[in-house]
Amino acid sequence: MDTSGPAAFVNGEILNMYVGRRVRTVVQAQREEGGLLIGQSTDGHQLTIKGASGAPMLRYVEIIGIAESNQTIRAEVCTDFGENFDPAPFNGLCKLANGQMKDMFL
Amino acid sequence: MYGGGGYDGGGGNANSLFSGGGFMPSQSTNAVEGSGGGGFPKSRNAQTLLPLTIKQIMDASQTNDDKSNFAVNGMEVSTVRLVGRMFNKVDRVTDVSFTLDDGTGRIHVNRWENDSTDTKEMNNINDGDYVIVNGGLKGFQGKRQVVAYSARPVTNFNDVTHHFLHCIHVHLELTRSKPQGKANTATGTPNQAMLRDGMAYNQGSLPNQASTFSAPQNTGSASDISKLVLSVFHDPTVMNDEHGISVDYVSKRLNLPEDAVRKIIQEEYEKGHLYATIDDHHYKSTMNG
Repeated sequence: MDTSGPAAFVNGEILNMYVGRRVRTVVQAQREEGGLLIGQSTDGHQLTIKGASGAPMLRYVEIIGIAESNQTIRAEVCTDFGENFDPAPFNGLCKLANGQMKDMFL
Repeated sequence: MYGGGGYDGGGGNANSLFSGGGFMPSQSTNAVEGSGGGGFPKSRNAQTLLPLTIKQIMDASQTNDDKSNFAVNGMEVSTVRLVGRMFNKVDRVTDVSFTLDDGTGRIHVNRWENDSTDTKEMNNINDGDYVIVNGGLKGFQGKRQVVAYSARPVTNFNDVTHHFLHCIHVHLELTRSKPQGKANTATGTPNQAMLRDGMAYNQGSLPNQASTFSAPQNTGSASDISKLVLSVFHDPTVMNDEHGISVDYVSKRLNLPEDAVRKIIQEEYEKGHLYATIDDHHYKSTMNG
């Protein structure tokens, strides 16, 4: 598994463009179900994160990992982004980074 | 973190030291390069701190004269800001090296430790941490690397989002066809006379709200009209015309009333952006004069 490749900025909606590839996103941790983290993406989707158990609830967590499906990410790295992270600009960034500004990122 | 230095304004981090007022790098006169011998505009622009993604650095072209210089968007780059995660940190006696991964690529970073402040700063950050790196972009043995002037931990993670948005903003600013350079900042506040003339085109936005994010045609403030007029003068075919162009020509080309155009031309003339050529009706831009 290549962990050094670039990771695409994704929100819940853009995730399905990158199934099988490396992505980075920020979710607000909501609950854990059997070792899986359920988080809300910056555009309001429910995402399931594997390998991120123990994440602090209700805080924003950055997930870098492989997109397994359009709502599941297998996490390689999780970073606590705190409670005061603003999801809206991040969501906008995801759209720009996959739209007209894609050349700057991927 | 800075032991009384007072640099760290609580989340402001590197911003306070390097780009406090939110300066935009001034645009080089030839934003789109690649012609005319391939020389990149050399100026103090090269000293500007540019926020970049590592992908942009890896895509950057090397300027012809010296293999250690790089150009992004046709502008020579020497000082950059990068935000990413740190890996492979290696402490040595006189320096610390590490790899920075910002999600778009990876680059090697070197930080010389000249005094104890530097050492202290580098002890603050470790593998896996998000760091803000300000440094010089160098080519060394065929590889691109950054010699860091500062490397600080990200304490407010909105800075990560902000950095990438800043990269996009600067990229758009530099690639937009708008060659009047510093004139932009100078024309910030249109005077009352211009405002009155501009009313016809003004969509109700405040004159100073010509946000750098919006395209000129969206905000119809007076300064945007002068930008529009200047853009005609900066058309390459016009720039090459020795006699310049007439007020009538500008008015026809922009489909704007002649008296409004004349007034703006007069304004720009007084600011030194234009000069009269063969008579009082023909003007030419002072750029590349």
